[in-house]
Amino acid sequence: MGSSITHIRNFSIIAHIDHGKSTLADRLIQKCGGLQEREMAEQVLDSMDLERERGITIKSQSVRLSYEAANGETYQLNLIDTPGHVDFSYEVSRSLTACDGALLVVDAAQGVEAQSVATCYSAIDLGVEVLPVLNKMDLPMAEPERVATEVEEIIGLSTDDVVRISAKTGDGIDELLEQLVERIPAPQLSDVEGAQALIVDSWFDNYLGVVSLVRVFAGELRKGDRIVAYSVGQTHTIDEVGVFTPRREKVDVLQSGEVGYVVAGIKEIHGAPVGDTLVFANSETPALPGFAKAKPQIFAGLYPSNSDDFEAMRIALEKLCLNDAALHFEVETSDALGFGFRCGFLGMLHMEIVQERLEREYDLDLITSAPSVVYEVVDRDGETLRIDNPSQLDDSGRIVEIREPIAEVNILVPPDYLGNVIELCIGRRGVQRSMLFTGGQVSLRFDIPMSEVVLDFFDKLKSVSRGYASLDYSFDRFETAPLVKVDILINGTKIDSLAMIVHRERANARGREMASSMKALIPRQMFDVAIQAAIGRQVIARTTVKAYRKNVTAKCYGGDVTRKKKLLEKQKEGKKRMKQVGKVDIPQEAFLAALSVDR
Amino acid sequence: MDSLPEPPSTVGLYVHIPWCVRKCPYCDFNSHEHHGPLVETEYVACLLRDLDAELERTSATIETVYFGGGTPSLFRPSAFGELLEHPSLQHVREVTMEANPGALECKSFTDYREAGINRVSVGVQSLDPDSLVKLGRIHSPNEARNAVEEALKAGFNSVNVDMMFGLPDQTIDMAMTDLDELIQLGTEHISWYQLTIEPNTVFGKRPPKVASDDDRADMSDAGLERLAASGFRQYEVSAFAHDSGEFACLHNVNYWRFGDYLGIGAGAHGKVTLENGTIVRTQKTRRPEDYMRDQKTRTREINREELPVEFMMNVLRMNEGVENAHFGCRTGLSLDGLEPTLSQSREQDLINAHRLSLTEFGRNHLNSVVERFL
Repeated sequence: MGSSITHIRNFSIIAHIDHGKSTLADRLIQKCGGLQEREMAEQVLDSMDLERERGITIKSQSVRLSYEAANGETYQLNLIDTPGHVDFSYEVSRSLTACDGALLVVDAAQGVEAQSVATCYSAIDLGVEVLPVLNKMDLPMAEPERVATEVEEIIGLSTDDVVRISAKTGDGIDELLEQLVERIPAPQLSDVEGAQALIVDSWFDNYLGVVSLVRVFAGELRKGDRIVAYSVGQTHTIDEVGVFTPRREKVDVLQSGEVGYVVAGIKEIHGAPVGDTLVFANSETPALPGFAKAKPQIFAGLYPSNSDDFEAMRIALEKLCLNDAALHFEVETSDALGFGFRCGFLGMLHMEIVQERLEREYDLDLITSAPSVVYEVVDRDGETLRIDNPSQLDDSGRIVEIREPIAEVNILVPPDYLGNVIELCIGRRGVQRSMLFTGGQVSLRFDIPMSEVVLDFFDKLKSVSRGYASLDYSFDRFETAPLVKVDILINGTKIDSLAMIVHRERANARGREMASSMKALIPRQMFDVAIQAAIGRQVIARTTVKAYRKNVTAKCYGGDVTRKKKLLEKQKEGKKRMKQVGKVDIPQEAFLAALSVDR
Repeated sequence: MDSLPEPPSTVGLYVHIPWCVRKCPYCDFNSHEHHGPLVETEYVACLLRDLDAELERTSATIETVYFGGGTPSLFRPSAFGELLEHPSLQHVREVTMEANPGALECKSFTDYREAGINRVSVGVQSLDPDSLVKLGRIHSPNEARNAVEEALKAGFNSVNVDMMFGLPDQTIDMAMTDLDELIQLGTEHISWYQLTIEPNTVFGKRPPKVASDDDRADMSDAGLERLAASGFRQYEVSAFAHDSGEFACLHNVNYWRFGDYLGIGAGAHGKVTLENGTIVRTQKTRRPEDYMRDQKTRTREINREELPVEFMMNVLRMNEGVENAHFGCRTGLSLDGLEPTLSQSREQDLINAHRLSLTEFGRNHLNSVVERFL
């Protein structure tokens, strides 16, 4: 079913969560006959269980559709799905690289959201044609005029021909498809010799090995072709090429301009890195520009609660990394938690997802330490070091300067909540850079320390704006700040994985809050448990979990033994989920206590 | 070196009588409310058959008998007399029967004594009228007092009274008043234990409001002091014997020394060391109707890994514990196999140096210590 390159349209949908991207994708698949009616599980593109449950898209997927336009011609439409959460903006731009156009879907009742603005800018930078689409026109609160104004004023796109649709009812879908074919350009023919296919995504399949989603920019790929991933250099023979409709279907050839998958017996998980180019073996064909690696914004220690699982965890992380270019990890040792991994994530949601996948798909039981951003420190010799684990911060006086990452934060919020949002930003040590009133929203720009943004800022922003504010942020620069390390000591022992780097003015309050939240989390034991927070040698907070007075089974006669033993076993099982530090059993949640501290 | 345990020369016999007038909301024993006439004669016949079958497992002498329930005192004295005539029960030293104050009408303790019972345990539970109601007991404080008085008059070797503390809405003062009144009854033995909310009971499903852990610990400390001051020596977590004689319950001490016992009657448990050195637990069919059709026994071997914790669960309950060598006698295992747990617990002042017994500190953390042997 190969199509002439002029009849191919590769596009993505840019939309904020809730703005109806998945519903629209479903509608397009239905319209273009990708699936029989009965196969239409709702939201087909969100294939991972986790995505389904959280109602968000994490990984890009693609689907090839066949559309017969009003002019009688049949077009091949390749929809490349993109994630819709602030943590995953990097994956969005990756998907955009494979496209020639994008639909910017905006909720006609809510208006433009900050993240869509940022994504649109990346799309425009990449030369992708952006078509604004107003969705949810069926809602009585829809205000297409106001929202169109926002699209023009905030993003700078003309809305003269804006398509108005309701993905839910199907209204306007035909017009959208016509516009799509008309306005999104066909892929450009390349005059490069050989073949060039950009790896948009790779994942590990238990039966096929590594499967790569590619966009062919030049030449053709077929079964039997001998190829190499440019940066890896190892030759493989293609076993299978195909497309998703969204079912996986083999095809004979992937032509220039097309999107599809390649299976080439690559077993080893670094054999097909995302962003790399597939070219024919022994050819002189150059690589495509690819894309820059996503930089993790937060780092946390992930430890198997059973140390025997260390190797299994390494393998699991390696597999996750194949599908998740933004995930970083390296071995880390903690006095408290033993052997584990320091992992880098794009944000909190990313971290939670990785954690959940490790636990669910790989059956691992994990202990996670509170995440930290990366700091730059300068020592007395003038050397600059990067620190992503607060316990590594030398507090013996060798450090002369600590610099923290500052994020450029863009927020769109209706004027009613502007006061709340500004207050929140200032509370997070933010500095206002600009404010612009437009349509029904205010566009705000703040510089805020990354450490104040990555953890719970998004949740707080949503709550102070009743869900109306939207957020986009990115790393901007490092800046010197009066930061100190706060250590937590349990019965006099420093717990390395509980150390935090905090602004000096807030250190005492944070230390007190940490101590009291640890007190609430640590169960009573045989001995008193002293909890202290300290800066260097100076104790700034202390509290005690008093020892159990008595832990005694009142009655036990001949008949009770088996049952009483089961109770003890259950108790012991509960303790297994704790880490022993010295004599003290610390529950896993305590290592995340810093997160539960209300800032 | 590990070897196999020798079967002990004496064993206990537990006899379960599974009926009660009313099921108490805290009780998780195998007890069933009965309505209509009891099938005493038939049940005793089943018990005798059951006993004959159990005796196949062992050649040891039965030294103690314990009639527990349920409410054994619902049965007439003659029922016990018939059972105690069994040839295997001619060398017993102690025969205990549990009695509930509300289930004794028309029966005299003297008749029970004449039938062969020589120790009685009265389920008083509390002497406070409100507490008794909250515990779902059918007797009043006065009925309890009268029952104990009658029992004392009947001339048993020893009379025990059961009382609980940490009752719904009970304060420390209330608990102490309750205990003082109990001590004044003048029995030779007291079982004073904290109310435990067990799953699968009415209390388990709708927990009553009881004092905090710390307040109940205070109750326990204060009570232990009161009991000691009144001449009651604690020999086990909840068992106190008056120091004017040898009043510890032999049958229970045998459990706590990880001794062997046969269990007969609906739902009864037993533990027997076989001639080949394996140790088995036995359990009878639980429902009385089923048991009376067929005294089916389930047996399960206690494997070697389970032996240390089961041993410790029992012996460490006793204040004096046991001598080190007793571990090998009962389990066939070497004490070296318990290292380093044992030395660690000794270093932490939980277990005494030359015996398997707990320090005062260890006694407060019995469960944590035992758990280490899992």
